[in-house]
Amino acid sequence: MPAEPLILGFDTSAAHCAAALLAGDRLIAAQLEEMSKGQAERLMPMMEEMLAEAGIGWRDLAVLGVGIGPGNFTGVRIAVAAARGLALALGIPAVGVSTLEARALGQPRPIAVIEDARRDMVYWQHFTDDGTSPPALAALADLPAVLKGQVVTGTAAAIAAAHLRGAHVLGPVMPLAEAIAREALLRRGAPGARPAPLYLRGADAAPPSDPPPVILG
Amino acid sequence: MTKTLTFLGIESSCDDTAAAIVRAGPAGTSILASVVAGQTALHAAFGGVVPEIAARAHAEKLDLCVEEAMDRAGVRFADLDGIAVTAGPGLIGGVMAGVMCAKGIAAGAGLPLVGVNHLAGHALTPRLTDDLAFPYLMLLVSGGHCQFLIAHGPEDFTRLGGTIDDAPGEAFDKTAKLLGLPQPGGPAVEAEAALGDAARFAFPRPLLDRAGCDMSFSGLKTALLRARDAAIADHGGLPRATRSDLCAGFQAAVRDVLAEKSRRALTEYLALAPAHPVFAVAGGVAANQAIRTALETVAARAGARFIAPPLALCTDNAAMIAWAGIERFRLGQSDGMDLSARPRWPLDQSAPALLGSGKKGAKA
Repeated sequence: MPAEPLILGFDTSAAHCAAALLAGDRLIAAQLEEMSKGQAERLMPMMEEMLAEAGIGWRDLAVLGVGIGPGNFTGVRIAVAAARGLALALGIPAVGVSTLEARALGQPRPIAVIEDARRDMVYWQHFTDDGTSPPALAALADLPAVLKGQVVTGTAAAIAAAHLRGAHVLGPVMPLAEAIAREALLRRGAPGARPAPLYLRGADAAPPSDPPPVILG
Repeated sequence: MTKTLTFLGIESSCDDTAAAIVRAGPAGTSILASVVAGQTALHAAFGGVVPEIAARAHAEKLDLCVEEAMDRAGVRFADLDGIAVTAGPGLIGGVMAGVMCAKGIAAGAGLPLVGVNHLAGHALTPRLTDDLAFPYLMLLVSGGHCQFLIAHGPEDFTRLGGTIDDAPGEAFDKTAKLLGLPQPGGPAVEAEAALGDAARFAFPRPLLDRAGCDMSFSGLKTALLRARDAAIADHGGLPRATRSDLCAGFQAAVRDVLAEKSRRALTEYLALAPAHPVFAVAGGVAANQAIRTALETVAARAGARFIAPPLALCTDNAAMIAWAGIERFRLGQSDGMDLSARPRWPLDQSAPALLGSGKKGAKA
């Protein structure tokens, strides 16, 4: 058993199963499998294989980091539900880390993270030395002027840069699951509330169109 | 000698998040705790369960329900022998959240994982409550399901028939909605029906003219809508007494269809010459007194014992999932970490599909 705490980070918020294992701040294993479906079947076996190869059991883990999105609703729930179940049974904290926070980790400040949200929309968040804007959903064309000329990163950074004149695009500094694990390591002293999905989009439900009848008497 | 088994059950296939602890052994079976967190208020504005809203609620409530059930039962993970979870059929987002939470718990606690068919959970409940022997006849009648099953074993069911469209519980909910009554519609329509005249409106009894045990309830809903609109056109609104009469007529039609189809199902079941014939009902609609009385009468005439588990075990709950998990586990069955959540999963794999016979296969 290594003396440093073992941290498992994982994510299924997009078309992949991703996991990373840290011993302290040292990356000791990582897995990334691209898939557009089947994450619910694959996630746990993939992580079990990765842990077994590293000679580590579930009970050796000290902290979990889990990606909470924003992203595919079902995908986000797959990882979050598994993390909450694991945390409960292992009696260890699970730290929810958003994709936006994970992408900002290790990048200079200020930086705007801009992630693809499909339908010409993006998820964005601005990280500066003075603070962080709330995570938000916006149409590409409606990205705020404050981001013009800024340093940007994320899956939609290059596309967004076309709308933000003078923006400078940075590539990722580390894979998503590793960033989630590292962020969980940083926050392990104060893990906060249980991880919950960050949707940023409503459930797309409309109230019924036909009103109830007027009751007489 | 049967070993004592203690199982955690998890259920999230519709709009109830549930967790329960069940212990079964030589001394009998007991429900150590059963927690059900409903979502009625979340869906109230939409006139029905919205799958995405349900899935969102499940994902953030499941582990809390598990913790509460374990606290109430006074058990730790070390006291458990397995984790049972509803793996379908149902609203896939919720089922998936439940399956993933169960996988996390099973992996973390080093316990076997047992995927359970939600319908088997309902169908095996009379064995949990009344220690019934196989084979027995089961009517599962709820907001999402309606079918007659002969239970031969924990994983061996013959479906005699079922609804080809809406489930009766769904029809009660839609009726309540059409008549401006609150959700869930079952209790509201029943209370209103008690004040009305069932003979005033001649509602259809669909499929009674056809042999077999299949049922249909969507035409009944359309008939009710027509009668309602005619009354509104006559009066410029729906007179309260007419609403009561509509409820009474609707409930009588559902009751008559269920009673007559139960009579036919009993005839088929009794042909197996069971030593102790039993007709059991489960599902929320079994709570309707008028329907229950009619089913009791049919059972008595056929010489079968009538069993309806207590309401809390008739509607969606996790005790039935824990119990069905124990039944499967005793047969030597369990699942791997690759267990799939299935939106469609008929109990009887051999009977022709009643619903959703498209390329994805039968729903139930």
